[in-house]
Amino acid sequence: MCLAIPGKVVDLRDDRGMTMGTVDFGGVRRDVCLAYVANEVAPGDYVIVHVGFAISKVNEDEARRTFQLLQELGQLDELEWIKEVADRSLAESADRGIEGSRDRRP
Amino acid sequence: MKYLAEYHNPALAQALVERIRKTATRRWVLMEVCGGQTHTIVRQGIDELVAAQVEMIHGPGCPVCVTPLEQIDRALHLAARPDVIFTSFGDMLRVPGSASDLFQVRAAGGDVRVVYSPLDAVDLAVRSPDREVVFFAVGFETTAPANAMAVYRAHQLGLTNFSMLVSHVTVPPAIGAILDSADNRVQGFLAAGHVCAVMGWREYEPLAARYRVPIVVTGFEPVDLLEGIAMAIRQLEEGRHEVENQYARAVRRDGNLPAQELVARVFEVVNRQWRGVGEIPASGLALRAEYAAFDAERRFALGNIRAQEPAACRAGDVLRGRIKPHECAAFGRECRPEHPLGAPMVSSEGACAAYYNYGRARLAAAGSA
Amino acid sequence: MTDGVSLTGGPACPVPLSASARVLLGHGSGGKLSAALVRDRFLPRFTNPALAALGDAAVLDAPDGRLVVSTDSFVVSPLEFPGGNIGTLAVHGTVNDLAMMGATPRWLTAGFVLEEGLSFDLLDRILDAMAAAAHADGITIVAGDTKVVERGKADGLFINTTGIGIQSPDFRPAPDRIRPGDAVLVSGAIGRHGIAVMAVREGLRFDTTITSDTACLAPLVALLRDRVGDAVHALRDPTRGGVATTLNELAQASHVGIELDERVLPVPGPVAAACAVLGLDPLYVANEGLLVAFVAADRAEAALATLRSHPLGAGAVRIGTSTDAHPGLVTLRTTIGGRRIVDTLPGDQLPRIC
Repeated sequence: MCLAIPGKVVDLRDDRGMTMGTVDFGGVRRDVCLAYVANEVAPGDYVIVHVGFAISKVNEDEARRTFQLLQELGQLDELEWIKEVADRSLAESADRGIEGSRDRRP
Repeated sequence: MKYLAEYHNPALAQALVERIRKTATRRWVLMEVCGGQTHTIVRQGIDELVAAQVEMIHGPGCPVCVTPLEQIDRALHLAARPDVIFTSFGDMLRVPGSASDLFQVRAAGGDVRVVYSPLDAVDLAVRSPDREVVFFAVGFETTAPANAMAVYRAHQLGLTNFSMLVSHVTVPPAIGAILDSADNRVQGFLAAGHVCAVMGWREYEPLAARYRVPIVVTGFEPVDLLEGIAMAIRQLEEGRHEVENQYARAVRRDGNLPAQELVARVFEVVNRQWRGVGEIPASGLALRAEYAAFDAERRFALGNIRAQEPAACRAGDVLRGRIKPHECAAFGRECRPEHPLGAPMVSSEGACAAYYNYGRARLAAAGSA
Repeated sequence: MTDGVSLTGGPACPVPLSASARVLLGHGSGGKLSAALVRDRFLPRFTNPALAALGDAAVLDAPDGRLVVSTDSFVVSPLEFPGGNIGTLAVHGTVNDLAMMGATPRWLTAGFVLEEGLSFDLLDRILDAMAAAAHADGITIVAGDTKVVERGKADGLFINTTGIGIQSPDFRPAPDRIRPGDAVLVSGAIGRHGIAVMAVREGLRFDTTITSDTACLAPLVALLRDRVGDAVHALRDPTRGGVATTLNELAQASHVGIELDERVLPVPGPVAAACAVLGLDPLYVANEGLLVAFVAADRAEAALATLRSHPLGAGAVRIGTSTDAHPGLVTLRTTIGGRRIVDTLPGDQLPRIC
């Protein structure tokens, strides 16, 4: 049971003595228990989240090492073009408006 | 997604593959412990990219797969009770017990619900005071803090209708058991990164020293796994046997102390049966006596469960790395994800499922392009 | 008695039959309540001569060309989601099945199983959506039926639609026309509908709401027919089970292999993030306004340009190629250069937590 993903802490709050928070995963926001990282994270920090719990804070200095490697490799990310195309078509479809009764909902 | 997408970067991956190919002067045998790592390796074809330099043996890193059959049968029995709302993570639903699985229990009327966090199960208990809520708490040390908090929370809230069916196992004793077996071929380990995010890596230092094997704490994305493999091979080539940390962005040597403290408060270390492997001393966690009210095994009468292992299932040999999944005679025939004989074929971390779903045997049969 | 009730015009019941905010069992009985339901809620929205005749069956003028018929039942829960509702799907979904055969969609039937207790406000929103979708798709709803079942037996409501279209002899995409070497195209971003629905079910919150891509694909197909013609070998809309399941069906039906490239799969950032959070693979997530096209290799660029010229196809990309290697199997080149099979799932995709 090891799947955990990194997300950005948006806010922290107390829930009957347990620290909870909103964490943003690439645009998806979830409630996460921050009890195990409460004394070391603030909004804007990144955490690793497993089954609704932050189990560790991301060490961004260490992570930067990977970015530097990427730069050294002179990487031009053609993947970004594909992502842009997909995101753009999503936005355009949303802009076109939705057929049906959505606008008439009370 | 930040801190995720960059670890799929193809140029970085290729650079690491080159590094592995240049560093290795012979073929080494490594084991990745965690099923999530097996999943990535097989799904991305990593082992095929470095096949000449490394043989990856897949470890018993699937807590579902090593949960004894009796425990699965207990879960099914509880789920079928009309007074119980049985909650678990989604990938447990198809795991076969002796005669059934949670999907079938649900179809027959059992109230079986998927949750994404054990706290969801606690909330359900708060909202459903007339029902018993049971959570199937299966996992490694990664999940123990979440499950500990759920019990602690239930206790704090004074809940009388919440309990867990526990099947927790710990990694270092399993590595020890593998290294102790007479036919062990593993020369180096990739330790499970998220287990170590919780526990740190101090426990692995005595293992590396005693058995003289390199252990590299490794993440789960393709670049992480390639970097972990590269670090392990470099140690082997240089004759070193240390604990190193590839997953430095998430793991510290001491791990997460508040998490360890709550786990120790709620759970105690016990001997555990590992399905297909046998008993490994001090390799499991059980709820302490103070929290017995939240232990489904002590709360419900579950004594008379007799499990019937399917004869053809070779999960034990797969879990110990003795055979690869497609070397089992039942693989792809009587045993497939839609009618599995054992947990490794259906669990999302099971090696058999990874091999089947990503088509290893069939790719080989169809001929590589 | 001075309360204003006049008895000279005969007794007037102060509680008229139709003053109910919800569907009752009586609305399915065939009696006055049923008639009122059809007359007051269904007919005004679906109005057309065939339906208005209210015969036991619709009478339609037989056209030239071959008839194409498709049926589908819609049981989605929740009934409403960003981008549409079950009614939207019920119209576009069946119309798209006709369009994938290259047929011009003409008529739809609509059968409803309503759950006792369904609110009329919700039913009205669903019927409004169906009327708007039918109008947009250029089809008429010519026959229908309504039944009511007890509370608890229908998840709100179920809808079945059967569609009829006309196929002309010069454009007949079909799996048996797929050839090794064909380009495999998708018309846009994948994974939107399934995630939009799951987001409501699981209470996911987004920066930018993911909306279902539910839409009528007939205009896109018409463009392909006019500009690319019979170099379009096959079309299919990857609904339940996603792109992976559809490609597997086509690979098996046509006895070719398919090779995909993971690097170019058009998964929007928010969909990828939601999949990561929920433990899902976007290749298996349902789409409702997307088509997959197999096009002769030398016309692939033309087909892409054609798709991109229409708003629905703005995000069209080529995701792979059919091959005579490994017939019936779909394989994927991974981002880092490895290879694996993309199989169908035994059942529903279960969220990977671990």
